[in-house]
Parts: sequence; structure tokens; C-alpha cells
Amino acid sequence: MTELQAESARERVVEPLSVPRLDKKPQRSRSLDLLIALAAFTVLAALPFLFSSKALLDFVIRCSAFGLFATSLNLLVGYTGMISFGHGMFFGLGAYGFALIMQRTGLPIPVAFICTLLFTTVVASVIGAICVRLKEIYFAFVTLAFQMLIHSVILSWVSLTGGDQGLRGGIPRPVFLGVDLSNYVHLYIASCALLVIGLMLMRQIAQSPFGYTLRMIRDNAVRASFIGIDVWRAKLTIFVLAALFASTGGMIMSLFVSGAYPEFAFWTISGEGIFINMLGGVTTFLGPIVGTVLLLILNDTVTRLTEYYGIVLGIVILFFAIGLRKGLMDFAVEWYQARRDAHGPGTMTRPRGGSGNSTEVAG
Amino acid sequence: MLEVQQLSKSFGGVKAADDITLSFADGSLTAVIGPNGAGKSTFFNLITGALVPDRGHILLNGIDLAGRSPPEIVRHGVGRAFQVARIFPSLTVHETMLAAVGADQRRASLLHRRFPLAETRDRAEHAMELLGLAAKRDRIAATLSHGDQKLLDIALALVLDPKVLLLDEPTAGMGTEERWRMIDKVHELWDRQKITVIFIEHDMDIVFKIAPFIVVLCYGRILATGTPDAIRRNPAVIEAYLGSEHLAGEAI
Amino acid sequence: MDLDALTGCLASSACLVTQGTSGFIIGMLLFLVAVGLTLIFGVLKVVNFTHGAFYMFGAYFAMTTYQLSGSFALAMLCGAAGTAILGLVFERVFMSRVYGGDVLMQLLVCYAFVLIFDDVVRLFWGPEFKAMGMPTAFQVPPLFIVGGVVPPYYLLLIGVALGVAAILGLGLASTRIGKVIRAAAHNPSMVSALGINTGLIYGSVFALGGSLAGLAGALAAPVRSLTPGMGFSVLIESFIVTVIGGMGSILGALIGALLIGLIRSFGSLGFPLFTDGLMYLFMVIVLVARPTGLFGKEVA
Repeated sequence: MTELQAESARERVVEPLSVPRLDKKPQRSRSLDLLIALAAFTVLAALPFLFSSKALLDFVIRCSAFGLFATSLNLLVGYTGMISFGHGMFFGLGAYGFALIMQRTGLPIPVAFICTLLFTTVVASVIGAICVRLKEIYFAFVTLAFQMLIHSVILSWVSLTGGDQGLRGGIPRPVFLGVDLSNYVHLYIASCALLVIGLMLMRQIAQSPFGYTLRMIRDNAVRASFIGIDVWRAKLTIFVLAALFASTGGMIMSLFVSGAYPEFAFWTISGEGIFINMLGGVTTFLGPIVGTVLLLILNDTVTRLTEYYGIVLGIVILFFAIGLRKGLMDFAVEWYQARRDAHGPGTMTRPRGGSGNSTEVAG
Repeated sequence: MLEVQQLSKSFGGVKAADDITLSFADGSLTAVIGPNGAGKSTFFNLITGALVPDRGHILLNGIDLAGRSPPEIVRHGVGRAFQVARIFPSLTVHETMLAAVGADQRRASLLHRRFPLAETRDRAEHAMELLGLAAKRDRIAATLSHGDQKLLDIALALVLDPKVLLLDEPTAGMGTEERWRMIDKVHELWDRQKITVIFIEHDMDIVFKIAPFIVVLCYGRILATGTPDAIRRNPAVIEAYLGSEHLAGEAI
Repeated sequence: MDLDALTGCLASSACLVTQGTSGFIIGMLLFLVAVGLTLIFGVLKVVNFTHGAFYMFGAYFAMTTYQLSGSFALAMLCGAAGTAILGLVFERVFMSRVYGGDVLMQLLVCYAFVLIFDDVVRLFWGPEFKAMGMPTAFQVPPLFIVGGVVPPYYLLLIGVALGVAAILGLGLASTRIGKVIRAAAHNPSMVSALGINTGLIYGSVFALGGSLAGLAGALAAPVRSLTPGMGFSVLIESFIVTVIGGMGSILGALIGALLIGLIRSFGSLGFPLFTDGLMYLFMVIVLVARPTGLFGKEVA
């Protein structure tokens, strides 16, 4: 093989993922995003007063927790190309960290929240510093190893964590700033707020110069470093940032179940995160949210209909992985793009995998 | 001025670069030619830091670059375009330029603004226009033609404002007409930007037409240097390229 | 944490032998599973996340065959052969579609099948723990070596595992088929250009790898309880073994498996709740020091 062929062979293996396009007018786009976020929050916050179904509200809270987790995973997988099999460890650490702080100290909830984030930052920085220099599959393995290690620690440190029974005794919820998290509606609205704020922040990260640095690293890390980018530092930064949002999801979960369980740190959480991203599609920012909603609906419906949940879920996964080969949002974007192109000039869409688009798809 | 002194590199018993000493004046345009395996790409790799020389110095305006890391060498002002364009497949041309310029402006880690930044736009615009890619700004890099990808590759090297630009076979993989267009572009670039350009090339027509100065490498050593005319008449060069039957009774 | 139990055991030769053999067994079974995994990775460049399911099917096939026929040998055979066929079909129909693509895609396809296979087993055999029981041929008193207890069945296990290791090692190194397989691993297009059916090679290698896991499951069936979830923990452990030993290295799988087996066996004395954790800790340490594993080569 000549260098030419070898190079092209290597290049072809990278499947280019496309992510939402450039902000042509960045300030206006930011305001637009803000508007959408506010609108979404208003709709969500109004739900308890429009519907009396607790199941619906429970669903939204669970979506908030997993949505934050899955979107943060997309920052790693979709935007930076870092496939982490262990991201769930931060979900678990967030749940246990927050629950333990509240149970053992008398700190107000906002302070406990910040402390948990600080704790996550420390752990993520250490683990990240070790992991991010590894490439691809090795990065995946070591992150998984760390997650299972943490899971083992949680299981075996019974005096601290309650072992395989989980953390019991509930979570004290002192009122802060008029917010009483033992009131279900307050908890609901707080979850929605965290979701919307978290998404806004992650959106900002994705559309900032740093976000584009991440895309460059994903596409061609060597070239990126030649351009002067400190690849290791960028990867470590996004690793820690993603961990923070994942652990926020964990905190929502712990408040929701009033405790923490070892399952929150088990590898299946990471697996579901990856699956959610495939379901919803990694090429749009809101893909993971769509994926979360789909997965939760799937979970709930299937467990109600049959005890052979595994077979159904497995078939669904196969359908997406082998059949569709892309997520739902990817389809939506391509359809939208095709309609646009039918009426006027557009940029070429990518032959396979993600879609090429030049317009800012809202969200 | 780029000076290379006694640059040497061996792999096992093979001398990929053997005591190369050259100097490139500021703003000069030089072609590096030689038969396959002559060590042209090795030469480039040594300058850009992809390979660490066994011996020798690489002085850019007096600063020795030998042994430094590639990103460091890039920062000192050495840009390189690759034989097979190394670009960012999923970014558009415009995004690529903005991101690259932004990185050079040390804005790669900004979190609080939205992309693109005003300060970055103009330079990116200028770079795209220089390479003739402005009309294709919204095309995704992976969908560009081979030639355009190479132009983008060169643009990526240029945005860092290098003092020396190394072009590794800029016309590789192209048909005749496209080649001339590409080399015209290279020439135009060199003329406008007034930087030192060194390019590896196999097409002799192009080399003799365009390059004011030529370096011939063979088996890692410098075989000859000089103007196109001098090189054309150089017996050692003729022998290396065409074989010793053209020379009466000279042993190598 | 019970360090006294651990140090006490290390001081007693009887305990050393008992725990040591036990660890050896765990290691040998793990080796069979892991070598299948590493073979599949080395030749097909794919990480087979369904590998634990083959182990599980091997055990269940063996158990049912033994219950129906009373023959231990037949049970072992069915365990290995059944999973070989399963592996061939699975590879040809599904895995071959995701070669060369994302690791993500491979992971998802395998994850899907893990879910499906677990439920299939639950459907046909029921979710409860099942036991095959020790075959009558081996219902003999255990051997006492230096005071330690060694069930004779263990010796069979060790023998089979080492035999497989030897056959594999020699086979790949010196037979023509072995050379073809190794060539296909390095340069599939070249091999196919030579007129050799790479699809057949891929299918066979996958079948071989899967049947090794199935054989391990069949061998383990008399001494372990069977449950639909049994594939998972084996999968994780065999992963750790291959990653520690180096993906693609048979020797690495052997050494890694032995190390893990011994860590499990002695570790469960000293750290009964944290035994898994010890394994993961070890994995982390090895990977941080040598990301490609002890004997691994750089992935191209």
C-alpha cells in the first residue's frame, strides 16, 4: 500500500458525524435558544396544573435525570469522539454523594448541591487525567473499569453506602428560599428547571469556540494538535464538564427515589446512555433528549406488556443499529433538509451516517 | 531563513537522511525532487518534528528546532500540508477556517461566547479567499473534491502564519489540468504571502517551469542543488533519474 | 476486610493448595472463555460482547444433554458443538454486517443479543437457578495433596484447558489453517485475493471462539449453578482477562486468567465483599501502566 492508500484507508474509518451548523448570527441564536428554553420550561412547569396524572410527572422527572445524563454523554461521544463506557459512574456518584451529604450533614440543599459538584470535579479530574490520553477502545475499557471499581466500592463499603441494599433513610429536605423539595410539585419544577438550565449550559459549550475545538479533535486529533490545540487538556475539560451534568442527573434521581442504589453506578446505566444516544441520534443537540423519552416510554410500555422485556428491547436495538443505522432526530433533520432542498439550493447531505445541514435546526 | 545542517536519520541500516545541509532564503520557492525512496518525505518529517533527527540542526532564524515536538515547531512558524489532505471531515470549509484561526488566536478554549467570533471572521475570510475556497464555504469538507481538500489542507497550514510552508506533493493524485491549476495557486500564494515555500513534486514539467531553485535528493543525500537549467544539465541527476547508460563508462 | 483469614491461609500449605487449585480452576475456565474472545478480536478485529452468552448456552446445552442422555462426554460435546453452530450462524447473519464500522454499532448489536439470549434462556429453561450436578464418573472422594482438598474433576478441567491451550497455540503457529487465519488477521483483502473464502474463515474463527466459551460453560456446569444471568459476570471477567493480557494474545489470556483466578480465590478470603473490586483495581493498574495489556500489540 502506498502512503496515499494507507492514509485514505485510515481516514475512511472515521465516520464523520455532523452536528448543528454554525451560528451565522451568534448573539441572535443565543437569544433564540434562551427563548426556546423559557418556552419549554413554561410548558413543563404548567403540566402539574393541567394534568393530574402523577405518572406523567414522574416520567418527566425521570426524563430530566436521564436526559441530562445522556446529553452530557453526547458531549463526549458525539462532539469529541470519546466513547466512554463508564460515564454512568458520575451518575451514581452524584446520587450517592448528594444523598450522603444531606443525610450526614445539616447543609442546606443548594450548598450540598455545590459540594456534590465539587466532589464530582475532583473525582472526574483524577480519573480523566488517567484516561483521556488513551485512545478509543482503551479509553472505553478503562472508563468501564473505573466505573465497575466504583460500583464495587459502593457495594462493599456497607457502613457508608448501605451496600447492595442501597442508601436508606430518605433524604432530609430542609426548605431553602421558599422551595420545599418534600413537596412533590416543588420537586417536579426543580427537576425541570435543572434540566432546562443544564441543557442551556451544555448548548453553550457545544456552540462556543471550545465546542468547535472538540469537533476538530473528533475529526482529526493529530491535525488539531498541529494547529496548536492542547488536545489532552481539551479532552480532560470536557470529561469533567460532562461528569458534572451527569452527576446532576444523579442528584435528581436520588431526590426522586429518596435515596441511592448501586444500580445507579452499574454499567447498565452507561449502556443505556449509549443506547439513548443511538436512538435519538448524535448529530443534533436534542437527539439525546428524544432518545431518553423514547427509551423510557419503551421501558415502561414493554415491562407492562410482557416479562420478556429483553427480547423486545433487543429487537428494537437491532432495528436501529442494523436497520436504520441512525437515530430518530437524524431522520427528522434529513427529512427537513430534503424538503428545504426541494424548494431551493442547499448544501449536499452526507451519503451515510449523520446528515449534512447548513441551517441551524432549532434546538 | 531556514538552515538545515548535517541533518541525518537512519532506520536500522538504512540512511533515510544522510548529512543534509541546505539553506532556504526568506521568501524563496524551492522544489525538492528525487526518485522514490530518496528521502523527500523523511526530510519534511524531520523538519516538522514528526521524526527526531539522529544528528544535525534545523535552524529557523537562528532557533534550533531539531528534537522539538511537532506542535512546538508549528508554533515557531513551520507549516505543512500533507500528501493526503488531513482535514476535518465533518466541518464545513468556513467552520474549519474559523476554528483554525480561532485556535491560532488562542481562543480554542473559550466557553462563554458563541462561535464565530468577530475577531476571527476576517482572517478566516482572507484565508478562504486566498485559496479560492470562499465560494465553497458551506460545503462539508468530506464532500469536497480531492483538489479542494488539498487546498483546504494548505489553508489550514497557512492560517497559522508560518514563516516556512512545506507542501508535500501538492499535485498528488490529480489529472494534468488540475495539477497546473494547483501549482498556479501555489505560485500565486507564494507570490502574495512572501513566505518561504518548499514543495515536493514528481512532475518534472511543473518543477522546471515553476521553481526558481531545485534540490535533488537521492538515497537520503543531496545529489544536486541549483536553478532548473543547472539541474537539467547535471550529470549525476541525469544518471540518477535515467540510469547510467546515458553516461559513458562512469561508475556510480 | 478479613486480612487474618488471608494471611492465615497463606501460611498453611493445605489452604494454599485448596485455594490455589480453586484459583487455578477459575483461571482455567476464564482462560477458555478469554482465549475465544481474544481470538475473535485478533482475527476479526471485533469485540464480541455476546461472548458471555456462549458460555451460558454451553452450560445449558450440557446440562440438558446430560439430563437426557446421562453421558458426560456427550454433554461436553453438545455444549461445545451447539455453541459452535450458534456462533457460526450469529456471525454470518449479524456480526458480519457491522465489521469495520463503529465500535458503537458492534456494541449495540451485541448488547441487543445479550438481552435476547438471556430472555430466550429464561423462556426455555426458566429463570430459577438450576444445577447439573457432578456426573457419576466423578463422584469420587477428593484427593488430598499436602493436606489441601482437590476434587478430581478439577484435574480434568485443568487438563482440558491446558490441552486446548496447547492445541490452539501449536495449531495457529504451525498448521496451514493456522497460517491462513493469521494471514487473514493481518491482511484480509490479500487473503481473499488469493482465492480463500474470507467469509468462511471469519465464520469459523467466530464459531471456534464461541465454542471455546461454550466448552468452558459445559465444563463449569457440574460445579456451578446455572442461571440466565451467568453470562454477564463471565463476560466482564473474561474482558478483564483479555484486556489485562492484551487483546489478541493467547499467552496473555493464559497469564491474565491465572492472575485473575488467583486474585479471586485468595482475594475472597481477605476481602469477601470487595473481591470484584480487587479485580477492577488490578485492571485499572495494569491498563494505566500498559494500555495495551501485558502482552498486547498496538491495535492498528
